[in-house]
Amino acid sequence: MSAIDHDAAPLPAPAQRRWPQRLRAAGMRLVLTTLAGLMLAAIVHIVTILLIPVLSQRDAAHAYRELGAEGHAEIVPLARGSGALPALQEADPDVITAVCAYDLAAGPVRVLARTGTLPLGLTLHRQGGGVIYAITDRAAIRGVLEFLVLTEGQYDERVANDEEGETSRELRVVSDTQRGLIVARVLAKRPSDRGDAEALAGGVRCGPAD
Amino acid sequence: MRILDLAYILGLGAGLGLVSAHWAVAGRPAVGKVEVGSWMAWPGSGSRGVDPYMRAYLARGVHLPLGAGEGVELIAERSDDGAHLDGRCRYRLSGNVPTTRGWTLGVTDGAGRPFALPLDRASFSDAEIVRGEDGALSIVAAAAPQSGNWLPLPAAGRFQFRLRLYDTPVSSQTGETRAANLPRIARLDCR
Repeated sequence: MSAIDHDAAPLPAPAQRRWPQRLRAAGMRLVLTTLAGLMLAAIVHIVTILLIPVLSQRDAAHAYRELGAEGHAEIVPLARGSGALPALQEADPDVITAVCAYDLAAGPVRVLARTGTLPLGLTLHRQGGGVIYAITDRAAIRGVLEFLVLTEGQYDERVANDEEGETSRELRVVSDTQRGLIVARVLAKRPSDRGDAEALAGGVRCGPAD
Repeated sequence: MRILDLAYILGLGAGLGLVSAHWAVAGRPAVGKVEVGSWMAWPGSGSRGVDPYMRAYLARGVHLPLGAGEGVELIAERSDDGAHLDGRCRYRLSGNVPTTRGWTLGVTDGAGRPFALPLDRASFSDAEIVRGEDGALSIVAAAAPQSGNWLPLPAAGRFQFRLRLYDTPVSSQTGETRAANLPRIARLDCR
């Protein structure tokens, strides 16, 4: 290592030779930051999709949460501007829909529907989306459809209180959310059936089980 | 420079993530869709295990989908030749409907709302149509009056046919239904 060798060290490259390197570095950084941005976008996408049902205030569970307070299902409007309630979207105009909201905090809810000649379907929609249970009037016994909606805890309690050795005849449906909607739909095949259909759908009773 | 990079990553991530999520659930999502001939169905929408995209779509409006054991809704946006359904054309719906307790066939806009037409007939139910000797279905959908079972259409613009089957064994296995078991949608002519 002599002073001469030291002097022969390469001089700094001219400015024009550094540009490609700078460009390459900048390109690399752009690619890396874009990749990081895309990964973040995927996370934001998934979180948004999962949060919409949780945070939505415009869904059916919020729109119809006051219905059924009088112990029977109430008919919901199908067209806008027909009352204070928001209209049901994508609904069949030939079907009468009645809704009863439940809150299991106060105890299990008993649903009782009398069947007629028109097709009737009962469904349980939990808050946040998903149909927990669906039953049609073909399952009716002597013209009556009856079941109990309860939470997991209330179900266990009821099973524990059942008489030893006896099978309970009541139909018990476990809801994994405390709140939800009981929906009764009756198909009015002819315009003249609408009165009967409204009476059937609005006549579905829902109230405390005991 | 670091701050610029970070701002770029956050802007791209939040912007693209939110826009893509909005786009994915603005209409009925492609996830979970079952196609049979010209008809589309989302049989998972009425089940306990509804997929997150359908759940998000349903939560964005006042929707109460048919339960899996209650019935199924089939939507057609195109005729059998693949063209979009348009009010300027005439269509014939013919063939069979799967076994049900009852069905309705309606004409709606893209959001599922019936059109406000001068004639108050937005749909047919199974009890309302006149059938041929063989019991097969034949409905003509057109803007101008037709003989037989006539379903009025808007004068122009896109529309959908919605076939709702109530209390049918098809509801839980829509994907396995053959196209021959559902009505065919033939385009007759256009203005």
